[in-house]
Amino acid sequence: MTFIRPLAAMAALALAVAAQAQQKEIKIGFIYDVSGPFAGGGSEPAQIGTKAIVDYVNEHGGVAGYKIVPIFADAQSKVDVAINEMTRLIDQEKVDIISGVYSSAQCVPMVQQADARKKFTWLNVCVATAVFKDKKLQYVFRPQAHSDQFGAWSCDYITHYAKSKFGTDPKNLRVAIIHEDGPYGVGVAAGNEAQCKKDGLNIVLKEGYSATAPDLSSLVTKLKRARPDVLLHTGYNPDITLFLRQAKEQGLKFKAVIGHGAGHSQFDKLSQTFGKDVNYFHTIDPAAAQLLDPKTLKPGVWAMTQEMVKRYQAVKGPGELPPHVSMGFNNTWILLNDVLPRAIKKYGGFDSESLRKAALETDIPVGGTMQGYGVKFYPPGHPLAGQNERAFPVVMQFVDGKARIVWPMAIASEPVLPFPKGHAYAP
Amino acid sequence: MEIFDIYLLEAVLNGLLLGGLLALLSLGLNLIFGVIDVVWICYAELIMCGMYAVYYLHVQYHWPLYAAMPAAIVIVAMLGVLLHQLVIKPVLAAEPINQLLVTGGVLFFLQAAATLAFGIDFKNLGVSLPAVRIGEMSFSAARLIAFGAAVLGVLGLFVFLRKTYLGTAIRAISQDRAIMPLMGVSPGRIYTLTSALGGALAGLGSCLLVLQYDVHPAIGLSFGPITFLICVMGGLGSMAGGLIAAFVFAQFISVGGFFFAVEWGYVIAFAFFIGMMFVRPQGLFRR
Repeated sequence: MTFIRPLAAMAALALAVAAQAQQKEIKIGFIYDVSGPFAGGGSEPAQIGTKAIVDYVNEHGGVAGYKIVPIFADAQSKVDVAINEMTRLIDQEKVDIISGVYSSAQCVPMVQQADARKKFTWLNVCVATAVFKDKKLQYVFRPQAHSDQFGAWSCDYITHYAKSKFGTDPKNLRVAIIHEDGPYGVGVAAGNEAQCKKDGLNIVLKEGYSATAPDLSSLVTKLKRARPDVLLHTGYNPDITLFLRQAKEQGLKFKAVIGHGAGHSQFDKLSQTFGKDVNYFHTIDPAAAQLLDPKTLKPGVWAMTQEMVKRYQAVKGPGELPPHVSMGFNNTWILLNDVLPRAIKKYGGFDSESLRKAALETDIPVGGTMQGYGVKFYPPGHPLAGQNERAFPVVMQFVDGKARIVWPMAIASEPVLPFPKGHAYAP
Repeated sequence: MEIFDIYLLEAVLNGLLLGGLLALLSLGLNLIFGVIDVVWICYAELIMCGMYAVYYLHVQYHWPLYAAMPAAIVIVAMLGVLLHQLVIKPVLAAEPINQLLVTGGVLFFLQAAATLAFGIDFKNLGVSLPAVRIGEMSFSAARLIAFGAAVLGVLGLFVFLRKTYLGTAIRAISQDRAIMPLMGVSPGRIYTLTSALGGALAGLGSCLLVLQYDVHPAIGLSFGPITFLICVMGGLGSMAGGLIAAFVFAQFISVGGFFFAVEWGYVIAFAFFIGMMFVRPQGLFRR
C-alpha cells in the first residue's frame, strides 16, 4: 500500500495542473456573417481583423497569462441565426464573452437577451443607436460610433461646403435621404433627417427600401422627379449595387453621394463593379486605421495599425483595407488590451460583473486607439449607457482608387465636390 | 404631384419590364409543376448556378457572351435533369409536403455549396449596357432584352407545347398521368424532358439576370419567394396565370412604390396576394 499515497498525490497534482490549465483560457464567442449578403458587405473583413488581433495577442503571451480562445460563429446574415448562435455560444460553448456582430438588425434583439442573461457583450461593428437608446443595458458595451453620429456628420459636411463647393446656401441645397429599412438604415436616416433639418438643408425625399428588394426603379424615378443635389445613402452591398446600376440606366443625376458605411465602405468591390463611376464617392465610418496620420496617435498605436495591415494583406492580398477590418481589429484590441486585463487584475476575474466594472472604468484619450477615437462609456442611467461617448466617425472620399479623410476639418484633406463634369452621375 | 406625369409613365413602363422578367422566371417553375406536380422551391438557386456559369465562362475563361450564355443554359438544363433524377424521382409518390421539404433542402444545399465553391464575394460581368432614352424617360437595355426574351420564351414554349409531338405528350401527361402510359408515352422520359426544359428556362433567366445583378450565393433570396408567390397567385401550373400574375405583381411594386414609399409597393403587392388567396385560393387561373 505504500505506493498508493504517492500515486494519489501525483494524480491530485495532475488534476490540479489540468484544472489550472483549463482556467488559463478565456473563451470569447465572436458572431459575424461569413455567408449571406452581409459577408461581402463588411462582416468578413471584420472577422479577419478580429482573428488577426486574437492571434497577435496569443502570440505575445495572451492576456494576463490567459490564452484567448476565439470561437467564431456564422450568423449567415440572418437575425434568428445570430440569436441562436449566441444562445449556443453561451449554453454549449460556455463562452465568457460575446463579441463581434456586424448587423444592427441582429444587434438590437441579441443584446437584450444577452443582457438579460448577464453575459458581458462587446460589440465591434453594428452602429444603430437603437441598440442602446433607453434600453438600460448593463453588460453590453460598444466602442464603435453610433448611427446618430453617422447621420449628423454627413449633413454637417455638406452644409459646410454648400457655399464654397456647391455655390449655394444650405437652404437651397436639395438633399435626398435613402436607406435600407433595417435598424441600421433607419437609425442613420433618422440622424440624417434631424441634423439636415437643423442645418437648414432642403430635404426633398426621404425613403427606405428592403435590402433584398429585386427592383428599385420606382425609387430612382421618384429621385429623378425630386432632383436632389446630394444623395445621403445607407445600404448594404447588393442593394447599393442594384440602386447605382438602375440609377445610371434611368439617367438619375446628382452632384455628390455620401454613403454611411457598410456597402459604401467596401470600395474595392464597388470599384470592381462600377469602375470610374464610383470615383469621388464618400462613405462615413470610423476611420480606417491605416488612413490616419501616425502623429495624431499615442506612442505604440501606429505599430499596431501596421500589424493589422500586414496580417490582413497576408490573408486577402494587397489592396485597400475596408474600415471594417479596423473595427474588428481595433475594437477587439481595446477589449483585450484595456478592459480584460483590468478585470482580471483589479476585480479578480473575467466574469461578467468584473468585466462590467472594468469597462465602466475605461478611460482612453483621443488618439489612444488605432481608429483615433478615445474610449469612455456612458455610465448607467444615461440614455445611451454602454455606448462609447468618445467615438466618432469620419467622412472618407475615394479619389482615383484611394480613400482619404475629408471630414472633420481638423484632419481633413480637400474634397472633390461636386462631381467633375463627365462623371457618370454628374448633371 | 400631378397624377399623370412623365414619371408615372416611366414607373408604369418600368413595371412592365419588371413584369417581363418575373414572367420569365415563373414560366419554368409553372411548367415543372404543371407536368410533374412538384414545386421546385430551389428554382431560384438553379438560376444562381446559371449566373455563376455565365460569370466564370465569360470572366475567368474569356468566352464571349454569345457562347457563355447558351452554355449556361445547357448547364442549368442538365442541372434540372440531375435534380429530377437524384432528388425528385425518389419522392414522386411521396406526400407534397415531403417533396417541398426535399427541394427546400436542395435550396440550402446549393446556397452552401455555392458559398464554399465560389466564396461570398459579389461577382459581376463588368458588362454595362447602354440605357435607352425616350424623351425624358430612360430605360435599362438589359431589362428591355429580358422583356423581349420573356416574350420569345413564352411564344416558343407555346409553339413547342402546341405544335410538336413531345409538347403534345407533355400536355397530355399533365392532364392525365394514369392513362398516358397505356398509350405508349413514357412518363419518365417526359418528366426528364420537362426538367431539362424547366432548367433551360432557369438558365435563360440567369443569362438575363446576370446582366443586371451581381452574383452571390444568396441572390436567390431576392427572386425565389416572389417567383413562387407569382406562380401561386396565377394558379400553380398555369402558365397563362403566371404571366398575368407577374405583370400584376410588377405593377403593384412599381406604381405602388411610385405613389407611396417603395416599401409600400411590396406591401400592397403582398396584401393583394393574401386577399387573392381568400377569394381564389386556387389562384387566378385554375390548372
